[in-house]
Amino acid sequence: MNRRAGIGFYVFLVVFVFLVMFPFIWVFLTSIKAPGEIFSSFKWFTSNPSLESYEAALTNRPLLRYMLNSFVVSALTTVLALVFASLTSYALTRLPIKGKGLILGLVLAASMFPQIAIISPMFNLITDLGLRNSYLGLVIPYITISLPLAIWILSTFFQKIPFELEESAKLDGASPFQTFRKIIFPLAAPGVFTTGILVFIAAWNEYLFALTINSDDLWRTVPVGISMYQSQYSIPWGDISAATVIVTIPIVILVLLFQRRIVSGLTSGSVKE
Amino acid sequence: MGNRKKPRFQLNEKQLGYAMVIPSLILVIVVVLWPVAQSFWNSLFDYRLNDPARSQLMLNSNIDLENYVDNYFYINNQLEDLEGKAEKDEAKSTIASIKEGVNKYHTKLISNEEIKAKVEKVDELLMNFKPVTNPELKYTEVDNDLAADYRKALKSYEEDLTAIAESSSDEEAGQKFQQTADLIGSTSETILESNFIGLANYGKYLKDKRMWNSIWNTTFFTVVSVALELVLGLGIALLINRAFKGRGLVRASVLIPWAIPTAVAAMMWGFLYDGQSGIVGHYLEVLHIIPDASWLLSTSEGGMFSIILADVWKTTPYMALLLLAGLQTIPNSLYEASDVDGANKMQQFWSITLPLLKSSILVALLFRTLDAFRVFDLIYVLTGGGPANATESISIYAYKTLFAQQNFGEGSVLSVIVFLCVAIISFVYVKLIGSELFAGRTK
Repeated sequence: MNRRAGIGFYVFLVVFVFLVMFPFIWVFLTSIKAPGEIFSSFKWFTSNPSLESYEAALTNRPLLRYMLNSFVVSALTTVLALVFASLTSYALTRLPIKGKGLILGLVLAASMFPQIAIISPMFNLITDLGLRNSYLGLVIPYITISLPLAIWILSTFFQKIPFELEESAKLDGASPFQTFRKIIFPLAAPGVFTTGILVFIAAWNEYLFALTINSDDLWRTVPVGISMYQSQYSIPWGDISAATVIVTIPIVILVLLFQRRIVSGLTSGSVKE
Repeated sequence: MGNRKKPRFQLNEKQLGYAMVIPSLILVIVVVLWPVAQSFWNSLFDYRLNDPARSQLMLNSNIDLENYVDNYFYINNQLEDLEGKAEKDEAKSTIASIKEGVNKYHTKLISNEEIKAKVEKVDELLMNFKPVTNPELKYTEVDNDLAADYRKALKSYEEDLTAIAESSSDEEAGQKFQQTADLIGSTSETILESNFIGLANYGKYLKDKRMWNSIWNTTFFTVVSVALELVLGLGIALLINRAFKGRGLVRASVLIPWAIPTAVAAMMWGFLYDGQSGIVGHYLEVLHIIPDASWLLSTSEGGMFSIILADVWKTTPYMALLLLAGLQTIPNSLYEASDVDGANKMQQFWSITLPLLKSSILVALLFRTLDAFRVFDLIYVLTGGGPANATESISIYAYKTLFAQQNFGEGSVLSVIVFLCVAIISFVYVKLIGSELFAGRTK
């Protein structure tokens, strides 16, 4: 539909974007207020901005450590998922094996399993392995989320590469694995990268496993760490707003840099092309 | 020809294909299928982490050998000691029969060669004041009938001795009797009967009001928020499906709520809803939409409204993006042709847009419904399931039973219920969508 965009349309856009961004705007404006000004004050702009809340957010709780933990866990999860998923998706889309529908069905089913149905045996397993409060202790359960997601998205990317390439590689005498490593994988690299971003975000956002398995404050990830800022007696909204701003910045950068890729990855599973 | 390399070992395409698939399959089985099966299995037991007698799955009866062997050693000595102290003949004969009984059962117990060997090993360790760390040695399986009889006999000995202790005129002797009674009582606790209870846990939860309440909350939340997200998402997708300046900006602003962790979003909304400092509560109160700012998080209706609004804010953009991608695959020529035929916008929407968008909508609905039904972090952080369990979803209830009460048996029942609900929902959607779900993935 190639309707032209009029003034009314742009007014709608501005209102829409404002509504979507409003929570971020308000939280940011709160984070630069002096802590005394936050309570029961609905003034939008403070007259004397201060960084006090940021200092408190970083010193009252090990926020940077949470971010490091989240980063290491998500990065390890992403790498592992991509290695296994690219092999599997390649075989599923381009090699003559039996039971493809069954395997894809299993992968899809695995991605639908509720984490709560996995958590207690997983908790016992990680405890028995002595991996509670460690990075590996989260990477193992995160495979349940990341591997099916990666296989699901990657297989659409592999499918899009022309099949003639393999035929000519075969004629030139390349072995099947050489074809994968030297021809198809490099061509699928953008798709692998896109999948990586989505898997990374999914791992970064996970809450239930992180909450139960890494209960030591030094091993908490960002989502769990942030939710621990509220104590039983008081809720330090200044600290919380500042911490929220700090942890949202990396996500904003990631989204701004890779928005096209993220959208193409998100929609690859839902649209026939 | 001389420098031609020898052909190296090569996998053919089929072998390579299986070799590439197997590692992932093994991982999926180990981290997804096995835990779910284990949850089913756990749900058949009275399994509690915080109760030593039930902290393991026991299909058969077991004996805690470390404590049993230690106690047995003292029981014999104490009984002999008591025989000398007993005043009445009646008491004397009771003690003699207890001694005989304990010895009879103990002999029966160690008539099993394997148990005998273990008992001797444990005895040796205890003599040297060493703890028994090997679980294989600490616990041993015993015959169910023997365990039940032995346990029952020990309980009755405990009662007999307590009765003697109470009727005893000599205070010091009375204390001695009581001491032995307690020792025998605690020995009976080392004989652990099987905690396999079959489907009893399920029966309990089918009658549990809180379970049905949490199912209702989850269903209500899922239906209302997914419906709102679909309608709003479709509206937004239709509106922005055109060329305009600033597409990138709109796309980015729409992606950010989707990309931030749900827990972080929940904290932000917790602040916006706060009864004292929350701006959303404040404005809604000023506009007389809600009775007062604290309504949002302190009443049942307010709590449900709050989590639905936060969820709609976070995932409508995602829905809009999925539907927009679907809209963009509809060829323009269809609309042009219907323009020529004189169809109006409404007719075009119902007869072109919606039918062609059907598979995109169903796929988006499938993923969103499943996500909404499993909702955990949003509610856990924003309301904790309160006030008065009014926003408690089934996942939250399962989590609380598993980890706050440490009751892995009953908690597993609830997680199995979540699993079954999710399986039913997926089954219905997959039937509706059909084979198109796999289109474009396999040859």
